[in-house]
Amino acid sequence: MTSTALNLNYLQAKKGIFSWIFSVDHKRIGLLYLYSLITFFLVGATLGVLMRLELLNPGKDLFEAQTYNQIFTMHGVIMIFLFIIPSIPAVFGNFFLPIMLGTDDVSFPRLNLLSWWIYIIGAIMALSTLLFGDGPADTGWTFYVPYSVKTGTNVTMSVLAAFVLGFSSILTGLNFIVTIHRLKTPGMTFLKMPLFAWALYATSWIQLLATPVIGITLLMIVAERVFGVGLFDPSIGGDPILYQHLFWIYSHPAVYIMALPAFGIISELLPTFSNRTIFGYKAIAFSSLAIAFVGYFVWGHHMFTSGMSGLARIIYSIMTFLVAIPTAIKVFNWVATLYKGSIDVQPPLLYGLGFIFQFMIGGLSGLVLGALATDIHLHDTYFVVGHFHYVMFGGTGFAFFGALHYWYPKIWGRMYNKLVANIAFFILFIGFNLLYFPMMIAGLMGMPRRYYDYLPEFHLPNMISTYGSWVLAIGLLLMLGNLIAGFRRKHEKIARNPWGTGITLEWQTLSPPPVANFDRMPVLPKDGPYDYDHKPEIKE
Amino acid sequence: MSHTKDNLPKEEQVHITSYKDHFSTLIALLLLTVITVVISVFGANLRSLSVFTALLIATVKVIVVAYYFMHLKYDKKVYTWLVLIVAILFVSFAVLTSIEYLNR
Repeated sequence: MTSTALNLNYLQAKKGIFSWIFSVDHKRIGLLYLYSLITFFLVGATLGVLMRLELLNPGKDLFEAQTYNQIFTMHGVIMIFLFIIPSIPAVFGNFFLPIMLGTDDVSFPRLNLLSWWIYIIGAIMALSTLLFGDGPADTGWTFYVPYSVKTGTNVTMSVLAAFVLGFSSILTGLNFIVTIHRLKTPGMTFLKMPLFAWALYATSWIQLLATPVIGITLLMIVAERVFGVGLFDPSIGGDPILYQHLFWIYSHPAVYIMALPAFGIISELLPTFSNRTIFGYKAIAFSSLAIAFVGYFVWGHHMFTSGMSGLARIIYSIMTFLVAIPTAIKVFNWVATLYKGSIDVQPPLLYGLGFIFQFMIGGLSGLVLGALATDIHLHDTYFVVGHFHYVMFGGTGFAFFGALHYWYPKIWGRMYNKLVANIAFFILFIGFNLLYFPMMIAGLMGMPRRYYDYLPEFHLPNMISTYGSWVLAIGLLLMLGNLIAGFRRKHEKIARNPWGTGITLEWQTLSPPPVANFDRMPVLPKDGPYDYDHKPEIKE
Repeated sequence: MSHTKDNLPKEEQVHITSYKDHFSTLIALLLLTVITVVISVFGANLRSLSVFTALLIATVKVIVVAYYFMHLKYDKKVYTWLVLIVAILFVSFAVLTSIEYLNR
């Protein structure tokens, strides 16, 4: 093969739809995930805006109660299973993990493609619930028994969809673990690995070990609905709280499947835009593993009001406070990285800073819910909805957008309009906080979640929240429109290291990368991945 | 007795388990199965310990299978650790859930 053919970038290498949907190139698979995820995200966001529209005023405005129940369930299922769980690992993990490790692909490229196909099949199954019978599930994304066993809506298909999607998650996790163990470039030890790779490593272990639990739990619901086995039915010896245990044994660690990769993104953004080494590399790396490990033992804090035993509640509450320690370690180290850095405020950094601000609100409100006494009052109120969205959207969502802006020039070899990107960020940031902060206030006032109506005293926070959803939607459209418009700016040639201060290996290759990822051997910095004192010189 | 091809690099070395090891493992597993059946059918009256006893014997069998039949004994130690971590997680789930159930 000639050097020109070798340097052909992955976007030009082959043409046609089949060259994409049957590609085993990790970069193309990452983009397949990206386009699918963004599509589902827009569907989920539209449902969210519709819910807020219903809640603009007290009383019935747009939907019947049953329709509202189905919409919030669909919103949850799409956003959790189709967007936020796969989001960063499937898109940026797939695209950048091999490049950051200095290798040409993941360990099992065909398995990687299979993961995407399984994801698509699961998505089709989830969306098919709209089309037949009594419509999509109305249980909430948690599918709690006994209601999920009794309702006539399409719960069986929804849980089967989540079951199938779980396989995609497991296979991606497995692929990343083997890739990290086996395919690091010579000289790259674990402690010379970028922090994004560390975050993906910890995440992958959770995907591999926790996802089977939700798989079997969801099948138990199917067994209950189809065969009436009685696993969760107390009248024939079952236990409904057992369902909650099994569900949260997976779903709490799943929160870290969603959050840990976002931590990895922030750990990449901050050194680049502070132009200095990360503060506390080992502390950040090992705290990822600590979060992954301790996160397995805190699931009971979702069940404080379920009727579980008092002793267990105390144990889970203590464990919940423990998991805050490694999380706080990360935040302190990020702030210390910024301290005395040569800070270059670019759009990706804005998203990184937005992440820290919002994630702190989400994390600290989580401690309020982890404390037994306050949780009794706040459980199943809008405080929980606000807290959850601050962590997941304000945290992981903003990290996802930050990563999209950070690696955009590397992925597509183009650059978006930075001014518009900055404006979009501020609109998003204001919209986000207008949307979700009033929810916490409404929750503190006692407004219960999951109802299509509310008492008049909750009107003001709901009104502000709905206005916020419009601002957020405008911000989202502006951000996405700006990114799409960036594709048309073909005249610009993007340098290998367009930010000038990127230090991990992806900034040593072409933008966009060639099929084999590198046109020349990548050079590792001398003392670890963020060694700005011995930064390799990058020639175009 | 197991054999290794010493001339290969360490990560590529293979081991061939002897018939003696295989049969010893098989006999151990059969014996443990017999013990399980004897306890349950001929009824040492273990009451609440009966489930615990059955699980204990099953756990020993799992260890024997993993260690000899599945070659954990001859593999890198990291694989033993991985299996242990999974076992610890599983036991933790069971213990924490049981604590909750028994103290309701």
